[in-house]
Amino acid sequence: MSWITLTRARPARSLWPVVRRSVLGLALPALLLVVWQGICVARLLPLYILPSPVAVIARFATELSGGQFGTDVLASLARVLKGFFLGSAAGLSFGVLLGLSRWAERLLAPLFLAYRQIALFAWVPLLSMWFGGGETGKIAFVTLSAFAPVVVNTWRAIRAIPDSLNELGAVLTFDRLDQISLIALPGALPGIVTGVRSALIYAWLATVGAELFLDIAPGMGGRLNEGRDKFEIDLMLVALFVLTGLGLVFSQTAALIERRLVTWRLG
Amino acid sequence: MSGSRSAVWDRASASWPGRAVIGLIVPALLGVVWLITAQKGWLPDQLLPSPVAVWQALVDTATSGDLWTNSLISVTRVGEGFAIGAALGLILGTVLGLSRRARELVDPLFLLLAQVPPLGLIPLAILALGIDEAMKVAVIAWASFIPVVLNVKQGVGDVPQSLQELAEVLTFGPWYALTRVVLPAAVPPIFTGLREGLANAWQTMVAAELFASTEGLGYMLALGRQLFQFDMVLAVVLVLGVVGLAVNGTLALVERRLLRWQGQAA
Amino acid sequence: MNSHVGNCSVDHLIDHLAFEAIGVSPALEIDHVSKTFRVGGRSLEVLRDIKLSVRTGEFVAIVGASGCGKSTLLRLVLGLDTDYEGEIRLEGQRVRRPGLDRGMVFQEHRLLPWLTAAGNVAAALRRSGLPSRERKRLVAEHLTLVGLANFARAWPRQLSGGMSQRVAIARALVNRPRFLLLDEPLGALDALTRLRLQDELARIVHRENSTVLLVTHDVDEAVFLADRIVVLQPDPGRVSRIVKIDLDRRNRDRSAPAFLRLRDEVLDVLGVRHTAREAAA
Repeated sequence: MSWITLTRARPARSLWPVVRRSVLGLALPALLLVVWQGICVARLLPLYILPSPVAVIARFATELSGGQFGTDVLASLARVLKGFFLGSAAGLSFGVLLGLSRWAERLLAPLFLAYRQIALFAWVPLLSMWFGGGETGKIAFVTLSAFAPVVVNTWRAIRAIPDSLNELGAVLTFDRLDQISLIALPGALPGIVTGVRSALIYAWLATVGAELFLDIAPGMGGRLNEGRDKFEIDLMLVALFVLTGLGLVFSQTAALIERRLVTWRLG
Repeated sequence: MSGSRSAVWDRASASWPGRAVIGLIVPALLGVVWLITAQKGWLPDQLLPSPVAVWQALVDTATSGDLWTNSLISVTRVGEGFAIGAALGLILGTVLGLSRRARELVDPLFLLLAQVPPLGLIPLAILALGIDEAMKVAVIAWASFIPVVLNVKQGVGDVPQSLQELAEVLTFGPWYALTRVVLPAAVPPIFTGLREGLANAWQTMVAAELFASTEGLGYMLALGRQLFQFDMVLAVVLVLGVVGLAVNGTLALVERRLLRWQGQAA
Repeated sequence: MNSHVGNCSVDHLIDHLAFEAIGVSPALEIDHVSKTFRVGGRSLEVLRDIKLSVRTGEFVAIVGASGCGKSTLLRLVLGLDTDYEGEIRLEGQRVRRPGLDRGMVFQEHRLLPWLTAAGNVAAALRRSGLPSRERKRLVAEHLTLVGLANFARAWPRQLSGGMSQRVAIARALVNRPRFLLLDEPLGALDALTRLRLQDELARIVHRENSTVLLVTHDVDEAVFLADRIVVLQPDPGRVSRIVKIDLDRRNRDRSAPAFLRLRDEVLDVLGVRHTAREAAA
């Protein structure tokens, strides 16, 4: 294959594979953009249904310079983080309880597993009735979304610690606190990190959902709603792209943190 | 020293009927507290309806047939969307798993697409496809598609070199090698992807129906919310739990049968 | 040279009388201990009527084939399991739970992978109530004792099997426990490391003057280290015989005739043919 010889012929240029990969990777999106623009230019669809990429970028620039965008992004981020930390903290405690105590596990796990069967968004109507559609309701929903993944991963990770190590704690006459801080938590750390990482992603998805379903307020989901209400598709697309971008930032950050913590353990 | 008391509990928790009973203690206690709270009127009805009212709402919708019709509609939607999304996902995932070139071309775009929140797509999907069946099935299919592709791609790509070489040695043609060696070897990750896809599909169905629907379990939820019929909302939440369990449980059973050769490991 | 003890109950009587004479309770007394496990609905008798008195500073080895309950016995002495018949007394007090007066070395080193060697040894001092400076001193002292002073900051995954086990030994000793319990501590190591660590162990135990209970399936090891060897026979675990080793503990030669004779005697009790001539006969 000509690609291979081409690569082999340039051993000194270590940049080439990177360049090649970026070019290939961008090929498809670029193609889609061109097709999109083409559809608009050819007026295959009315412009109010599908604005052109140029129009979308223009709208993005307008919104950005308007200054409101910054507030929106920060508002969404604040919700994600608040709900994420609350949910993760609660999830960690509950997960540790289920992981360490056979009795807690027998009594509470079935109820928890039953709760998990209920789709997350089913709680939206209930939460909005209890907390209203305002900030509290939204954060309650995000908290709920972060809770379950942390519980499950923490619980499983603690149970996976070999009995020999747990027994060691008994031999060294560790009390509950020692057992948790010296054996359970360090031993379960990789699993916990996986759970926390999932929780961050779920919290993000839940924030978007909460913003879409509950009262309109500053936030990217709110802008999406606004676009829908005013039938401004360019605004909707801008909001969607920003949401996607933020989602990318979240998932990559989560993955990076996980990788860092793991190498610290192994390296 | 431990005494006979804990021995009784230990023996009770050793068998599954015993475990089931123990697992019901806390829910039963909560149920009793709930009942008493409602009877004594400690919390207003808007905050916490009486379990009797919830039960009544359940019975009413069941006898009127609404419960079954809506449940069936929701489950069918999930089935259709999931089937489409999973089938497409299997195909794309296999292609990506097998071909490095395809991965180089598609991976970056896919990474981006995977971040698009299905919920965020709903408003756009409504504008494009209306609020009918097509929109919901499309969004559900999308939600199922992504995890299936990711897991199948990884599973197919991870099939050990040794197995692929075996297929060559046995002079299997490419189709035969694919269906008899590669795919069966990748079944565990494929099923992980299917499980995730189904879970996603289920969640998206509820969200989509909440958002814009005239029938289905999510619609019942939205209706109850609008009419401030809290007992109805709670009843539907419980039903959702049960149906969700049934749907996921079925997939789990299928998976266990197909993975019999793995033994207890999985 | 070696006293041929024919009947273990006689041996016990002698010990008991000796204690009575001095007016001191034995350091460790295992009094008619029996243990039955329930496995899948059926009862499995693991130990039956074990009687043993151990003096302070004595080194007792327990040998026997697998399944004779040696490890179980050790766990009962440690206090990890309190569900048995009979009594186990340490200096007159019943054993109810693990304590820092008993240090334990397992067959697997069981080092916590997320703590350094020093951290692992220090973990045993967690409940000791000692001030931090004292703890650091003890940790350093014991790592030096096992010859690993330079590896204090190493992670367990960086240590070889023998080194890890030495850290485990340091951990078991750092509390200056009166009793040292060893459950086949050298079983997972290669033959050369095993021999070397046996020498180490003899040296360390002599220095600390601990009372030691060693469980092993290696008869040579038992003869090399112990004052007395308790031979257990399996199904269920019972004391078959107790063999006294009247050799100088500081100075045992694995090739000396006396050593070999004692070893053969133990193997005899275990019912293992140990010379080609016997096998041919």
